[in-house]
Amino acid sequence: MKGRRYSAARLWNALFNGYGFLFLVFLYLPLGLIVVYSFNANPINMAVWTGFTFDWYATIFVGAGTEGNFDSAFTESPERLYGVVKNSFLVALSAASIATVIGTATAIALSRFNFLGKRFYQALLLLPMLVPDIVLGIALLIFFVGAGIHLGLTTIIIGHVTFLSSYVFVIVSARLAGIDTTLEKASADLGAGPLTTFRRVTLPQIMPGVVGGFLLAFIISLDDVVITYFIAGVGSQTLPLFILAMMRRGLRPQITALAVLILLFSLIVASIGLFLRNRKP
Amino acid sequence: MMGGTVRSRRRKALLLLLAPISLILGLFFLIPLGIVVVYSFLEPGLYGGVEWTWYPYNYGRILGWPLNAYEEFDPIYLAIFLNSLKFALLTVLFSLLICYPAAFWVSRMSQRRKSFVMFLITLPFFASLLIRIYAWLLLLRPTGFINTVLETLGVISQPLDMIFSGFAVVLGMVYIFTPFMFLPIYANVEKLDYQLLRASRDLGASPLDTFLRVILPLTAPGIMAGSIIVFIPALGNFIVPSFLGGSKVQMTGNLIERAFLQSRDWPFGAALALLIMASVLLVLMLYIMRSAPAHERGAT
Repeated sequence: MKGRRYSAARLWNALFNGYGFLFLVFLYLPLGLIVVYSFNANPINMAVWTGFTFDWYATIFVGAGTEGNFDSAFTESPERLYGVVKNSFLVALSAASIATVIGTATAIALSRFNFLGKRFYQALLLLPMLVPDIVLGIALLIFFVGAGIHLGLTTIIIGHVTFLSSYVFVIVSARLAGIDTTLEKASADLGAGPLTTFRRVTLPQIMPGVVGGFLLAFIISLDDVVITYFIAGVGSQTLPLFILAMMRRGLRPQITALAVLILLFSLIVASIGLFLRNRKP
Repeated sequence: MMGGTVRSRRRKALLLLLAPISLILGLFFLIPLGIVVVYSFLEPGLYGGVEWTWYPYNYGRILGWPLNAYEEFDPIYLAIFLNSLKFALLTVLFSLLICYPAAFWVSRMSQRRKSFVMFLITLPFFASLLIRIYAWLLLLRPTGFINTVLETLGVISQPLDMIFSGFAVVLGMVYIFTPFMFLPIYANVEKLDYQLLRASRDLGASPLDTFLRVILPLTAPGIMAGSIIVFIPALGNFIVPSFLGGSKVQMTGNLIERAFLQSRDWPFGAALALLIMASVLLVLMLYIMRSAPAHERGAT
């Protein structure tokens, strides 16, 4: 009887491990496939391997060449790509910085103060994450156009700050809830002002949460398609909108290579962000 | 005297801390959403823009009312909305079926492996949405990975028609929202007290009974939370259907996109967006109403 139960447990373990393996394959196979395809020399069908090449990466940085091949029609010039990447970084850095300051300030207000309307704020802060992207996108479009604000990088930054502040708020709040308030009280009792206490006691303790929140906000902003799509206007394309336009024209190896580079960058920054967020206080 | 100044200083600090978020969410979130409500009751202008007259027919159009003598009653927009609802619910169902066992798998690991696997599962959330859709285009299209492999193996002679279908849309959304479903369920499963499962078994319950009457009720809050976080973005999605659904599969998100960026019928788009918004709020309210009593029960 005991033996049977033991082997049943082993069977369950094997089943769970097998299932878990399949689960990870489901998550990572599509991403791995892009990486493999980006090195495939076959220009017509990426699914048929004809040889290893760096050509698609080369076309990103130096352009399609002058042979007038079929692909040049689908290939964007490096200058245009650099401009788009610059826009994306400008937006993501500004939006993530502003959202980090606002989100952190709000998290401190809601965790260290008691006031009327606190629950209202708690609910309000969750809303931007719960409202579907497309609704926020069109709401901002109507608002900006109605207010006569020219659509461009500024409107994209404002739009991103609106929902990123909530993300940073949630991450920093979790961090604040995890730290001991005794030190802050001790600091106040020893005569330090609120600002000194914040700078010397609270901030160092929540710093990993703040930096983690910033990095995750940065990546979410860098990758945002839906909200940006509605409020970008004509002259200010970001990297995701650029990819979107390329994908609509057809699937080409150059997109695959570009996708791998973006994937690599996002995953590295997000890894650091997740690591900092999860580090124990 | 001293207490008074400390208090007023704290008040000032609080106001200062709350001012930026109040400004941002007030000006760029609440007011725009309010304007959407107003717009949905205005008449679309002839060349884009709006006429400031009371016009309830944007909603009428969604329900199929004919706009003029040339149109007939045709609830096509309602049908598309119901279709979106179906896709969103299927996405919830399948991501739940995929994530639920996976949560148990992770919860049984050693601490070190657990944090590593958790990291692996969370990471794809930060991969660009478009790139993840792009990957599925490469997998599903007639000359894509799956068809090429199956043809090489001789399983099929004609490529399977997988892309541009409801199947592809649901699959794409399940893939994209998997981390959303996984995390709340996992948070719940991890807290599961295995003593209770042993007690249930020792008292003679069959494994199925234990699952249905102990495990499922105990993990229900995670299932509910995960389902809601997946349902909301799935219902309003337009990027996934526009790539994986092609022109064959439409969701309300596609209609909204077209109303705003192509036909420039903003009031109609606003009405459609509010339909999505109302559905989301309804689901959220049901969730809060259902979970609140359980909360109180837990407190006593």
